[in-house]
Amino acid sequence: MTDQPEHGQAGAAGRRDMLPSAVDPTVFDEAFLRQLERLTLVTRKAVHGGMKGLRRSVKRGQSVEFTDYRDYALGDDLRALDWNLYARLERLFIKLFIEEEDVTVHILLDASASMDGGAPDKLMFGKRAAAALAYVGLASYDRVNLAVLQGRAARRFPPVRGTGRIFQVLADLSAVRASPGPTDLLSAARHYAAQLTQRGPLILISDLFDENAERAISELAGTRCDVAVLHTLSTDELDPPLEGDLRLVDRETAAGVDITADIVTLDAYRQRLSDWQASLERASAKRRVAYVAMPTTTPLSDLVFAELRRRRVVAA
Amino acid sequence: MGMLAPLALLGLLSVPLIIAFYMLRLRRQQQQVSSTYLWQHLVRDVEANAPWQRLRRSLLLLLQLALAVILAVLVARPFSERPAALAHDLVLVMDASASMAATDEFPTRLDAAKRAAQSAISGVPAGGRVSIIAAAETAQLVANEATDRGRIQRAIDSIEQSIGPVNLDDAMRLAGKLAERTLGAQILVVTDDAGARTPDLRVSVPVKVVTVGRERHNQAIAALAVRATPDGLRRSVFISVANYSDQEATRRLQVLADGSPVTARDLLLRPLSRADVVIDELPAGTRTVEARLAQPGDEPMAGPVDRLALDDAAWAVVPPDRPRFVLLVGEGNVYLQNALSLLPNVELYGTTPQDYAATAADPKFASYDLVVFDAFLPPTLPDTAVLALAPPRTSLLGEVRGPLEEVYLGQLPPDEPLLRGVDLTRLHILGNNDRFRTQDMALPDWARAIIPGGDGPLLYSGLRDGQPTAVFAFDVRNSDLPLQIAWPILISNLAGELLGGALATRDPLAPSSPVELPLPTGSVGMRVTLPDGSVQELLPGATGAASVTFVDTRQLGVYRAEPMPDPLATVSPSPMATPSAQTAPSATPGVETGQAEPSLFAVDLFAPDESNIRPGDGSRLARLGTESGSGPMEQGTARDELWPLVAMLALGFLLIEWLVYERDGARRLLGGVRRLRPRRAGLSRRGGQA
Repeated sequence: MTDQPEHGQAGAAGRRDMLPSAVDPTVFDEAFLRQLERLTLVTRKAVHGGMKGLRRSVKRGQSVEFTDYRDYALGDDLRALDWNLYARLERLFIKLFIEEEDVTVHILLDASASMDGGAPDKLMFGKRAAAALAYVGLASYDRVNLAVLQGRAARRFPPVRGTGRIFQVLADLSAVRASPGPTDLLSAARHYAAQLTQRGPLILISDLFDENAERAISELAGTRCDVAVLHTLSTDELDPPLEGDLRLVDRETAAGVDITADIVTLDAYRQRLSDWQASLERASAKRRVAYVAMPTTTPLSDLVFAELRRRRVVAA
Repeated sequence: MGMLAPLALLGLLSVPLIIAFYMLRLRRQQQQVSSTYLWQHLVRDVEANAPWQRLRRSLLLLLQLALAVILAVLVARPFSERPAALAHDLVLVMDASASMAATDEFPTRLDAAKRAAQSAISGVPAGGRVSIIAAAETAQLVANEATDRGRIQRAIDSIEQSIGPVNLDDAMRLAGKLAERTLGAQILVVTDDAGARTPDLRVSVPVKVVTVGRERHNQAIAALAVRATPDGLRRSVFISVANYSDQEATRRLQVLADGSPVTARDLLLRPLSRADVVIDELPAGTRTVEARLAQPGDEPMAGPVDRLALDDAAWAVVPPDRPRFVLLVGEGNVYLQNALSLLPNVELYGTTPQDYAATAADPKFASYDLVVFDAFLPPTLPDTAVLALAPPRTSLLGEVRGPLEEVYLGQLPPDEPLLRGVDLTRLHILGNNDRFRTQDMALPDWARAIIPGGDGPLLYSGLRDGQPTAVFAFDVRNSDLPLQIAWPILISNLAGELLGGALATRDPLAPSSPVELPLPTGSVGMRVTLPDGSVQELLPGATGAASVTFVDTRQLGVYRAEPMPDPLATVSPSPMATPSAQTAPSATPGVETGQAEPSLFAVDLFAPDESNIRPGDGSRLARLGTESGSGPMEQGTARDELWPLVAMLALGFLLIEWLVYERDGARRLLGGVRRLRPRRAGLSRRGGQA
C-alpha cells in the first residue's frame, strides 16, 4: 500500500461500472456515489496541485506567507531579518512564515453493537459519513487514516492518499461489522490515541452511548488533534415509537429496563436526551472539540457542506 | 337518597381488580433497543421521585377507577325522595279534542298538556300505578295500571290530536270506573277546560285538574250550507263566521267551488259575534263548496291571532244537477201537464189513478222526486215530496172539512217566497161543483198558508214528516189561475220548494262519525279517497251485503267513495224508458249516491264548544269528584332518579380519558409536522449558499 497520490484516474462516477466486489452496494449505492461525484467537483476546485497538502500547519516554516515577528536569537537565519523594522526600531526581528505541509486526517468510526440499528441504520450512516470525509481528505491530498472502534481497541486500516484510493476506503468500510459484544469507548479511544503519530483533523463518528463518552472525548482531545465529534442518533432514538408496558433490552449488554411508555415517560426521555446532548456539547467545548449532533436522516451534502463546514471541520 | 338496585354496587368489586391488573402487569412485551443507557438514567430519576411520578403515570388508572365507580353507581339507580303530590293509583284523563290544537301554547295545547302530564306523573309515589285515558269523540284507554315510568311516558306521547269535539262524559265515566277499583285512587284531568258543557255525572274519587291554554282568540266557520233558490235553478251558499274572541278581528272569507275561487270577502267581526254571508254566484255544476278563513289581502291579520286553525275551513257537497223525475197522477190536466213539463231539468211522467197502484208497486217508483196527485189520493202516501190538488178526503195531507161553496181570498202573506212574482189579484176561484172540487180544508200543523181563504187555506205548504208537501184546496180548473201568467210562476216556485229539498245539500258529518255507503249493483266494494289523498278499500263483511260502513272520518274535508266494479260481471246497457231504479236510494242522509258515479260527503267541525277555546280554570271538572274519595288517599314518597346526572358524569370522565390517552397521537402528529420544517430550512440555506 503506497501513500502516494494516484493521478489521472477518473472519479468515482467513472468507476461506477467497475465497482470492486469488496464494496457493499447496499451501503455505497448509486445515490451515494453520485453524491461523492458532487463532492469531487467541489473539492477539485479547491486543489491547486502539487504534492503538498493544503492544510495550514502550526509549524512555521519556509513558505511565502508571512505571519508574525519574533526577536532575533543567535543562530537564526539572517535572511529572515526584517531590515525595515530594524531601521525603524533599531532592533532585530525575524519574520515568521506558515509552512504548508501534508495533513493526516483521522476518521474514527464507532462500530459497537449499539450502532447497529435505527432507521436509517446508524452504522450505515457512519460508514457513509466516514467515506465522504475520507474522500474530502483524499481530494485534498491528505493522508487518511481510518479506524474502527470495537470492543476495547481501535482497529486501524492502512492509511491512504489520493482520490484513487477511494474504492479502497469503500471496501474497508464495507467490511466493517458491528461488534457483537459490549464496546468500551474510552479504552478504544485510548488505544488509538496511543498509536497516533501525526496530528491532524480527527473525527469521531459515534452514538456515544457509553458511560465514559466524555472521558473518551477528552482522551482524543489530548492528542492535540483538531477533534470533531459527530454524534449520530437515529430517529427512533430521538423520538421513540414506544407504547405500553415494555421491557427494553440493550443490544450491547442485553441489560433490560422495564418501562411504561406513556406520555409522561416519553416526555421525560426526550428531556433526558436533550440534557445529555447538552452535557456532551459542553464537555466538548471545554476541550475545544467540535460537537455536531447528527441524526441519521441528515443528507450527506448537508453533513459535509453545511454542518461540518460551519463548524470548520471541513475547510472552506 | 337511596338506590333502586343496590346489588349493582357489587360492581365496585371491579375496582380492586382493575388495580390488581394494573399493578401486576403480567404481560410485558420485550423490545430490543440500541442502548438502554438513557432509559436507565430515566428509571433512576423516576425512582428518585417515585411517589409523585407514579401518581402522574397513574392518571389513566385513576380515570378508569373513577369510571368503574360511576358505572356501578349508575346501574344501582340512585334516587332522591320527596313527598308525593299524587295518589298511589292514578287515572290520568288527557283532553285530546279539537280545541287542544290551539296554538296559544307551544306548539299546541296538547303538547303543553303532555308536558304537564309528564311533570305531574313525577308526583306519583314510587311503584304507583297509572291508567291513561285519551278523551276525544270517544274515550280511549291508552294505558292500564302501568307502573313503568318509561311506558307511561310513551303512552302519554302516543296520544294523537283529535279533530272532533270532546266527550268528557264518556271519559269521566270510564275514569271513575277505573278509579273505583282501588281504595284511595285519584283522577287527574289535563285539559283546557274550554267549552260550556259540564259532564252530567259524579265520581266517587277526588278529581284534580291541570289546565293549559292562555288565550281565547279564535274565529271559525260556524255553519256552511248550500241551498237551492226557490226556482231550483241556482244554488246559494250560506256561511256563518263566528268570532269567539273578545276583540274585534278582520278575516278574509274565501269561497271555492270545486277548488276554484269563486269569491272572497273581508269581514269585520265584532267581539263574540257572528257574521252571516250569502253567496249567490255559485257556478252551475259545482260539486263541492269550500269556505276558508284567511288573513285579509297582503296585510297582516288585523286583530288577535287566530289560535285554532281546525275550524277555519268547512266543506259542503252539492248534489249533482240531475234531472228530476215528476209523476203526475190524474185523469189528465193539460194545465198541470204544461206547467210541469215547462220546468227546467224536470222529466214528467204520468199515470192514471187506476194504474197508480201498479205504478207505485214498481221498484222504479222510488226514483220519483215529486208525485202530483190531481184530484186523487192513494190509500198510502208515497215517501217523497207531494203536490196535491183538491184532495178528495182527509188524509195525512190535511183534514177535508167538506166542500167549499163560496171562496174568499184572504190576505196574501207579503213575504211568502212561493208568491214571489205571482200576482193573484185577479184570481177567481169557483166553489165546489159537479165538475171540479173546491175543498174546505183545515191548515195542518206542519204547514203554512200560502193563499189563505175565508176559513181555511186555499193553498198551503210545509214539511210533512220531512217531506216537502203542498196542497191546493181547489182544482185549478175551477179557477182562472191556469189562464193567468201567475200560474207557471207559481208552479215554478212550488217546484223549487218541493224539489229544492231534494236539491239541498246533505248535512256534513261530524268527525269520527261512521258512514254507511250503499253498494251499487255490480260492485264488490267501495273505494274511499280521503281528503289527504290516501285511499281505503272497503269490502262487505258478508256476501250479498247491500252496503259497507266507513269509519275513518278523522280528517276534515271532502271524501270520495267510488264503487269497485266486479271484474267478473258483464255490463249491458238497459234502455231507460222510466227512471232507472238501478241506483239504490241513499241509506245515510248526507251521502248522495249515483250509479257508477263517485259519492261525495263532507266532514266538518261545526262545534261551538271546541271553537270557543276560552280556557277554564278546571273547577267545574274538579267538582265532579269528591273531597277525599272513598278511602284515605294513599300518599307516599315520590322518587326522582339521578341516573341522568350520573350518566353525564360518566361521559365526562370518558371524554377526559380519551383526551389523555389520545394526546400522544396528537403530539406525534405535531412532531411530524415540526420535523418537516428543519428539512425545508436546511434546503433553503443550501440554496442560499450555492
